[in-house]
Amino acid sequence: MSLTSVKEYFTPGGKQEVLELLEKYGDSALIVAGGSFVHGLDARDLLFGIEALIDIRNLALNEVSSDSAGLSLGATVTFSELQQLNEIQSSAAFGALRDALKCPPVQIRNVATIGGNIAAACPYFDLPTAVMSLGGVVQAQGPAGSREIGLQEFFAGLFQNTLETNEFVSGIFIPALPARSSSAFIKLETNANDLAIVNVAVQLTLDESGSCQEARLVVGGGVAETPVRAIASENLLRGRKMTDELFKQAGAAVQSDLEPISDHRASAAYRSATAKVLTERALRRAVARLDQAQASI
Amino acid sequence: MKKLVTLEINGKLQELAVEPSESLLQILRKQWNLIGTKRGCDSGGCGCCTVHLDGKAVYSCMVFASSLDKHKVTTIEGLSSGNELDPLQTAFIEEDAVQCGYCTCGMIMTAKEFLAKEDRPDEEQIRHAIAGNLCRCTGYQKIVKAIKVAANR
Repeated sequence: MSLTSVKEYFTPGGKQEVLELLEKYGDSALIVAGGSFVHGLDARDLLFGIEALIDIRNLALNEVSSDSAGLSLGATVTFSELQQLNEIQSSAAFGALRDALKCPPVQIRNVATIGGNIAAACPYFDLPTAVMSLGGVVQAQGPAGSREIGLQEFFAGLFQNTLETNEFVSGIFIPALPARSSSAFIKLETNANDLAIVNVAVQLTLDESGSCQEARLVVGGGVAETPVRAIASENLLRGRKMTDELFKQAGAAVQSDLEPISDHRASAAYRSATAKVLTERALRRAVARLDQAQASI
Repeated sequence: MKKLVTLEINGKLQELAVEPSESLLQILRKQWNLIGTKRGCDSGGCGCCTVHLDGKAVYSCMVFASSLDKHKVTTIEGLSSGNELDPLQTAFIEEDAVQCGYCTCGMIMTAKEFLAKEDRPDEEQIRHAIAGNLCRCTGYQKIVKAIKVAANR
C-alpha cells in the first residue's frame, strides 16, 4: 500500500467521536472497517488527499436483529458472519444474498463488511446488486441523527454515494418479503477472485395461483456506473405465470434497459449478451428455490 | 503519527509502534522477520500473504497494523509445535504439493482454517476453499490431494 498521504489511523469507540472526526477532517477522512477495498481505491487514485482513516469496528455496529419488519444488519457485520445467519442460510427470500456472499474468497469474507461493501459504491461488487433486488435501505448516521436512504438513491455514480461529508453508514436494513417470495443472484467473472463482468439479482413474489405479483430485477457488475433496475423486464414479469418462454423474453427485455460499458474485462456487446443469459438463469433459480421451499412445507 | 499497538503473534505478546498506513504483512516481514508470509500482489488477489487473525484466514496485505490492538495473529511459523509439523505441513511434503513454494505458506494457512470447520471435505469443497490462493506451478492437483490427505488424519 502506498497511502502516503495518510497521517492518522483512528479507532474511535463511539458514534459521537466518529462524527467529530468527520467534522474535523471533512473530505480528507475515509471511514474504513475491514479495509479490503482500500487497495482498490488506491489503485484507482481515489485516495488522493486522504489524511485520516477512521476505523468504525469499535462502535458495536456488528450486531444483527431480525423481526417481522425485516433484517437489520450493523454496518460492520462481515460477510462470514452474514453467511452464518439462519435467515440467510435457509430462506428462499434471501437467496440472492446467500448466492452473492459465496463469491468472494474466504480471506475477503472474513474481513469485508456489508456497510463498507455498499458504501464503496463500486459498480463491480456483488452484494449491492443482491441487496438492491431485496429493496435494501442504507442507514446513515449524521450529526442530526439517523436517516434512511434507498439503495437507488444512495448510489450516485462510479464510487460515489449521496452521503454528506459529515455522515457515515451505520447499518443496512432489508425489509421482510411477503410469503411466496424468492430471490437469486448469479455472477459471471473471469476467475474465482475477480470482480464481476456482469451480475444479476432477481426477487419474485408469486400469488397463490403462481402468477407474479412483484418482481425486482437488478443488473450490476459494470453494466453501468451503478447497479440498475431492469424496469422493462420487471413490467413484463408482473401478472404472468412463470414459464421458460417468459424468462427468455425477460432476458431479452433486460438488454433494452442497459447501456453497458466496455473495459478490459469485457466489451459492451459481451456484457449485454451475458446479462440476457444470466437473467434467464437467475429467474429459473429463483423459481426453483420457491418450488423447493413449498415442497418442504 | 505512529500508533502503539499490543498484539499476540504466534503466542507471544508484542508491543510495537506502527505507521498509520502500514499493513500487517509489512510489519510481519520487516519488524519480526517472519518471512514465511509472502508478499505477492500486495492487493488481495493472490493469497501468498494469508495469515490467521483471531483464528480466521485473512490477506495480511490488506489488514491495517494500526487496527490490531488486542488481537491475535498466527503465521505459518506458529503452526508447528517445536519440531513437530502440523499435519497439513506434513501432507504437503509427502504429497509433493510444493513446486516453487511461493504460494505454499498462504495455501496452508487457508487450508488450516478450512479444515477446522470441515473435517471430511470433498474435492469441490476444497477447491472452493482455496479459491483465494493462486498457484502458478502445480496445477493445484497435488495441493488438493494434500489437503484431502491432511483432512483424513
